[in-house]
Amino acid sequence: MLSKARVLEIRKVSSNCYFLLLEEARIARESLPGQFLHIRIGESLTPFLRRPFSIAGTSPENGTLKILFQVMGEGTRILSMVQKEDRLDCLGPLGSGFSTQKAHNTSVLLAGGIGAAPLMFLSEALLREQKKVIFYYGASSLEQIIPVRSFFPSEAEVYLATEDGSAGYRGFVTEAFQEGLNNGLKPAEIFACGPKPMLQKLAEKNRDWKFPMQISLEERMACGIGACQGCAVTVQEKGETRCGLVCRDGPVFNWDEVVW
Amino acid sequence: MANLEVELGALKLKNPVLAASGTFGFGEEYSSLIDLEKLGAIMVKGLTLKPRQGNPAPRITETPAGMLNAIGLQNPGLDAFLSRELPRLIDSHAAVIVNIAGDTEEDYITLARELSGVPGIVALELNLSCPNVKQGGILFGTSKMIMGRLITKVRGICPIPLIVKLSPNVTDITELAHAAEESGADIISLINTLKGMVIDIKSKRPLLGNITGGLSGPAIRPVAVRMVYDVYRSVKIPLIGMGGIMNLDDALQFFMAGARAVAVGAGNFVDPCAMPRLIDDLRSYLEKEGLQSVDEIVGSAQI
Repeated sequence: MLSKARVLEIRKVSSNCYFLLLEEARIARESLPGQFLHIRIGESLTPFLRRPFSIAGTSPENGTLKILFQVMGEGTRILSMVQKEDRLDCLGPLGSGFSTQKAHNTSVLLAGGIGAAPLMFLSEALLREQKKVIFYYGASSLEQIIPVRSFFPSEAEVYLATEDGSAGYRGFVTEAFQEGLNNGLKPAEIFACGPKPMLQKLAEKNRDWKFPMQISLEERMACGIGACQGCAVTVQEKGETRCGLVCRDGPVFNWDEVVW
Repeated sequence: MANLEVELGALKLKNPVLAASGTFGFGEEYSSLIDLEKLGAIMVKGLTLKPRQGNPAPRITETPAGMLNAIGLQNPGLDAFLSRELPRLIDSHAAVIVNIAGDTEEDYITLARELSGVPGIVALELNLSCPNVKQGGILFGTSKMIMGRLITKVRGICPIPLIVKLSPNVTDITELAHAAEESGADIISLINTLKGMVIDIKSKRPLLGNITGGLSGPAIRPVAVRMVYDVYRSVKIPLIGMGGIMNLDDALQFFMAGARAVAVGAGNFVDPCAMPRLIDDLRSYLEKEGLQSVDEIVGSAQI
C-alpha cells in the first residue's frame, strides 16, 4: 500500500488550488472514486503527519492519477512547491469509495470548493455507466473557482455558483441546486463533497427530498488506516449511535448515517 | 549475526522494538503493510472492561514535530477483544502485550484476571497515565500511594510479567518509578504523552474536542530520554523507553539512557515501515560495532 509516486506535472488552477499529476501504476489501477491517498509532505519532522487527499481521477492505462488540492496551511503550502520528477511517498488508496452500481440514471454531483476533486473521478465512472451527470459547483468567488469545465468530461452538464455572484448563480451551491429542483430537475441520486456546513444543509434538506445521497467527509487524520482512531465521526445505524472513522468507515457515508 | 533477543526480567522478546499502545490499534490495520511477526511485541490499544466510545472530534491536531491527541481510550471492550481481536493477532504470530485501563481498582483487577492466563498474551501493561479520560488512568499514575496499592493488588493475581506505564505529567517521575518497583512491577515503560493544548485563534476556542490532549512525536523525545536516564538510576527493573522514536539514531539514545527495549508510537503514523526498518538497522549497527547484543549499550550514557 506504500508507493513512491513520480510527479509528472504540478499546476496552479485557481487562486489557492493546485493540480498534481502523478505516475504510480499500482495506485492508478487500484483506486476507486471516493478513495484517498495519504501523502507524506517532505522528509522533515515538521509538518509531521501525512495529509489525506481525495483522488481526482486515474488513467490505469497510463499509470497516472490526479490530485487537486487547496493550500490550507503549512503542509499543503509545501506540497504546492513540489517539482516535476520529485517523488511523493503515498499510502493508499485508502477508505471506501462511492457506490455506483445502482440503476439510477440522472446523477447530480454537488461540490463546494476543493470538494470537486473526488466528484471529478466519480463523474468519469458514472459516464462510463451511461448515466447523465449534472454537476453543481460552488466557490466563494470567481478567483477561487477551479476551471472545472476543463477537468470534467465534456458530457457532464456544469452549473456554477459563487457566493459573491462573480460567476454563475449568486449564492450557495445548495441554493443553485434548489433552484434547479424548482425548475424541474429530477435527480435519481446525489453525490456531494464540500465544507461541513454545506453537507449538513444538504442532509437537512434531504429529510424532505429523500433522494439517495452519498457524501464524502473530511477530518483531521493521523494514521489514515483505522489504527489511531483520530478521525472520529458519530454515525447511526438502526437507531443506535456509534463512533465511526472517516478514514476506514468513510470518507464516503450515506447522508442519513452521519449524526451532525 | 548479532542477536537481537532481549530479556526484560521474565519477559523474553525476539527483539527490543515494540509498537506503542494506542498507535497500532490491534495490529490488524498494519498487517497488510508490515509483517507483525517481525516485531518484538505489539502493545495493543488501551483496553477497558466495557466498550468505550472515546472523545468528541476533533481528536487530533498536528504540532511542531509531533501531534496532540485526545482519543479517549476508544476501544471495543474486553469481550470483543478476546473473541475478535486477539485470535487475529495470534494468527499473525505477534507477541501481544495488552495495555489495560480502568476507572476503578476493580476494573484493573478484573481485566488482569481475565487476560493473564490467556495463551498468546506475553505481558500486561498497566495504563496509569492516559491524560485524556476523566476518571482512572492518570489518577492512578500520579499518586504514589494510590498507584502502589493498585499495582500490589494486580500483581497478586497476575502470573505473567507486569509492565507499568508511567506518566511524564508529574513533578518527579523517579518517585513514581520507585513506587512501581516497590509494589511489584516487573518492567516500567515510559513515557506516556505530555499533556498539552492548542487554541484555534480564529474561533478563540481549544482546537481539540476534549480541550486538552497528549503530546507525542519527536517534539517530546528529549524529555523522554531524560526521564529514562533518571529512572534507570532509580530502579533496578528493566525499562521500555518511548517518546518520538522515528529511527535507529533515536532508539540508540533511549538504549544509552537505560532502556532495554524501545517502542515506536506516533512514528508509525508517518512511516508505517518505521519498526521493521529500525529492527534491521539495529541489527546492522550491532554487527558494525562488534556487539553481541543490545545489553552492551543499555545505560552506556550513564556517568
